Amino acid sequence: MGTNAEAAQPPSLLLRVLIGRKPKRTLVRIVVLVAVSFVVFKFVLVPIRVEGRSMLPTYKDRGVNFVNCLAYLFHEPRRGDVVAIGLEAGYHVMYMKRIVGLPGETVAFHQGHLYINGRFMDEPYVKLPGDWEHEPEQVGLDEYYVVGDNRDMPWEGHVQGRPKRQSIVGKILL
Amino acid sequence: MNKWLSRFLVAAVFIALGFWGWRVCFPSPEAMIRKRLSELAKVASFSSNDGLLAKAWNASILGEFFTPDVQVTLDVPGAQHTISGRDELLQAAVGARTAVSSLTVEFPDIKVTLANDNETAIVNLTATGKVPGQRDFYLQELRMRMVKIKRDWLIDQVQTVKTLS
Repeated sequence: MGTNAEAAQPPSLLLRVLIGRKPKRTLVRIVVLVAVSFVVFKFVLVPIRVEGRSMLPTYKDRGVNFVNCLAYLFHEPRRGDVVAIGLEAGYHVMYMKRIVGLPGETVAFHQGHLYINGRFMDEPYVKLPGDWEHEPEQVGLDEYYVVGDNRDMPWEGHVQGRPKRQSIVGKILL
Repeated sequence: MNKWLSRFLVAAVFIALGFWGWRVCFPSPEAMIRKRLSELAKVASFSSNDGLLAKAWNASILGEFFTPDVQVTLDVPGAQHTISGRDELLQAAVGARTAVSSLTVEFPDIKVTLANDNETAIVNLTATGKVPGQRDFYLQELRMRMVKIKRDWLIDQVQTVKTLS
């Protein structure tokens, strides 16, 4: 009798909050949540930590962000997009750059200003201008020209260039 | 039912242990290369606490990872030259250790492509170098050719890769 009375007692509030009234259902929910989180954060919205100052002031050193890997599923990358560029060996480290030149265009810098096909391009996102000088460079048909927002750095100390389309992993979300 | 389940679980555990033991005792060439490269990253790193003797000793150990006639082709801003042979490489390593007080080298990504004979391999890797006090870390893609000599994988060729070129 006493045993039955104990068995009939409802679970404590803590247990109810933690595992709910139906533990099996809670377990299924946890499994589904873990699986969905794994897929989303591994293949769709990849979390990244920004390191370095080449994208200052738009993206600060040690900031956290996400790469939207589905951003270019239905359209090609556009000028002004900030993208993550994967390396050949893997994606633990990626470059984060802004697309300024599209396939087939020529890109040049004169007195720190960007010129596409010989025409001046306004870049409102550049808050740290510099005095870069770079001869016109032809972008291949399967390439994009990418550069960081911080033009205050010396040209040699700043990574920029023409990654292939397949190297672009996705668009920076925030 | 419970009896069969427990037998199945015990068998699964034994199979997993056997598989793990096999992998430990007889690692695949790729696993050996990855282990070798992680050792290289440790040896290539040094801290400001290391004395001159320790730095020189570590630099000499570095030579054990390369063949005597290794070719290193550097094409990075500010340095475009080729290092020929292990001795020249060691001199360059010692020079680097005197120029920088501390360096942490890591290979976050390693991609190994084995040749059909399992005696040579092409390794693409991402190398990062962090110098204390500097805001930016150094990032470089490398392509290496490794050869198996007396059960040891040694680096025969190194060249820098330009990702954004």
